[in-house]
Amino acid sequence: MLEVSDLRVRFSTPAGTITAVNGVSLTLGEKESIAIVGESGSGKSVFARTLLDLLAGNGTRTGTIAIGGRDIDELSKAERKHFFGVQVAMVFQDPMTSLNPVKRIGAQLTEAMRYHLKMTKDEAHDRAVGLLRQVHIPSPERRMKQYPHELSGGMRQRVVIAMALACEPRLLIADEPTTALDVTVQKAILDVLDDLRAERNMSMILITHDLGVAEGRADRIGVMYAGRLMELATAKDLFADMRHPYTEALLRSIPSTDMVSHTRLHPIPGRPPDLLNPPKGCPFAARCRYAQPECVDTNPPLIETTNGHWFACHFPVGTAEGKAALARNEEAGVTAAGLHLDEHAEEYV
Amino acid sequence: MAGSGTAHLRDEGNVLVRVERMTVEFPLGRGAVVHAVSDVSFDLVEGETLGIVGESGCGKSTTARAVIQMPRPTSGHVWFKGNDLTALSSEELRQVRPDLQMIFQDPISSLNPRRTVRDIIAEGLRVWGSRGTWTEDRIDELMAAVGIDPRYGERKPHQFSGGQCQRISIARALVLDPKVIICDEPVSALDVSVQAQILNLLEDMKARYGVSLMFISHDLSVVKNISDRVMVMYMGKVCEVAGSDDLFSRPAHPYTRALIASIPGAKGVPDDQMLDGELPSAIDPPSGCRFRTRCPHSQHICSETEPEIRGIGDGHFVACHFPQVATTPVTVG
Repeated sequence: MLEVSDLRVRFSTPAGTITAVNGVSLTLGEKESIAIVGESGSGKSVFARTLLDLLAGNGTRTGTIAIGGRDIDELSKAERKHFFGVQVAMVFQDPMTSLNPVKRIGAQLTEAMRYHLKMTKDEAHDRAVGLLRQVHIPSPERRMKQYPHELSGGMRQRVVIAMALACEPRLLIADEPTTALDVTVQKAILDVLDDLRAERNMSMILITHDLGVAEGRADRIGVMYAGRLMELATAKDLFADMRHPYTEALLRSIPSTDMVSHTRLHPIPGRPPDLLNPPKGCPFAARCRYAQPECVDTNPPLIETTNGHWFACHFPVGTAEGKAALARNEEAGVTAAGLHLDEHAEEYV
Repeated sequence: MAGSGTAHLRDEGNVLVRVERMTVEFPLGRGAVVHAVSDVSFDLVEGETLGIVGESGCGKSTTARAVIQMPRPTSGHVWFKGNDLTALSSEELRQVRPDLQMIFQDPISSLNPRRTVRDIIAEGLRVWGSRGTWTEDRIDELMAAVGIDPRYGERKPHQFSGGQCQRISIARALVLDPKVIICDEPVSALDVSVQAQILNLLEDMKARYGVSLMFISHDLSVVKNISDRVMVMYMGKVCEVAGSDDLFSRPAHPYTRALIASIPGAKGVPDDQMLDGELPSAIDPPSGCRFRTRCPHSQHICSETEPEIRGIGDGHFVACHFPQVATTPVTVG
């Protein structure tokens, strides 16, 4: 369904060139869903937008993207018009800013159908009502005549999902679709997405910062850091058999309701690398408990081990090399990148 | 959920803040009123962290803000150090304010962008003057304590990251030696790795400076981690109050159970009830129990009588006619 190979996105800024996405390769099968997890600045949203060829004016892209077997660079101008938004559609994070506040829900929903699918007003209206029903919006006929501000945040996000689905995309990209919403609403929205994906045989890319959301909602999970894919595995494998120290560090930093209260959390020390001057070696080396001299010098490639488990690390978690690296660092009290491992080292950040 | 009553208030000597039957209403004109907080009671003992959770619009922020009289409650009492804050004049209230500090959600917009970090932290001292422990020396000490190098005191907020700005907010809140800090979603805008730093820091500062915290969040895992006691709110009412671990191991209120079941990735939680429908209007809330319109266990009595908060053992209190207590069946009569 989707084939991305060696995707790089650079932005030129007054301060220099930033590589926001740095050599990401990914394939996504029919009906498959993949979650991309990462913190702010990891490049996950830029990655998502690039798939729809939405780049800011100062951005350049290299590498290839093929959706449904079509390389997006080989589309003619006329084809492009009815490709993005039809074959592939996107749900953005903030439902308030992705809807036009001065147009009625109905007008916004039917616009794409009339343009792309050349439907008549009545056809588009009937179909829009049907879509609203599918995303579980009560009394859809009435909602069609309302403005976005008359709807709650959860309802607005459902409308945005209905809009994205209007032209029956084969691939849906959802960029943090539930971040601005309450947990109860979040669950309802994610349930709607799950159901629709199953009904329509759609593939989905879910961008999220929440590992918990990713775990329950995606077949595979990719972890991004500083523009790179650090680890990619099935949801089950990633949690049961994680290989990358960054994935491990992320999980260790999150409080869970399974923990007794006041359990001391393990923050990730330090800060993400400066993308203007990226480090020579592994971008996570400076914050990694496993870091060895090799990590500071050479960036590990993303390699596949067993059945579709990919990771980019010289000293993977749970392997003999990884254990030895961690033991060496713990004995020395400091990693090769100069990170002190003493839990109580009160460092200025 | 809608619960009123004061059964869960404690009478121990070290109660620091005691809120009794507090109501906050916002007039909308033409006689309409938003019932933001309705008949809420709770207390905070010294050195305790009270977590307040609920969905957006449930009144958790308004509750915490009304404690420091911003805005003043429509009715009810807020006892702090033997004073009823609701009865104090503006000047008397000003004298109490150093003891009650606040940390906000957005660390960057809550700091003045034109002033240096040292100025921002020292502002309380400038207002109140140096006395006792309130001295300029304290600023360096506090900056170091929250993990900001004191040499960076002359920098401005935009030169710091979100997590660092939240550390500066914490230092600012601590400078006047407060008794209570109200944390309104202090980690919601932060990445998980930074969130963990700030949560650990709050625990450390609580131990080091002996403050009590009121911690507001919509994130249940965060609240469970930091709180000693948790209060669950729905539409301006208290649903359930319990010790942090107790609340999550045996949630009794249908709303609490639904909240816990909604946590993504949580395991071994009740999945017996999901929430249907939308939040009713706070202008015209449902009669009886305010949760009844979305509650899977709702009966006739729920629309007629508002449930009173009552104890179900071990400091666990719930406001529901039909609490879901798995271990000990409760007879309702």
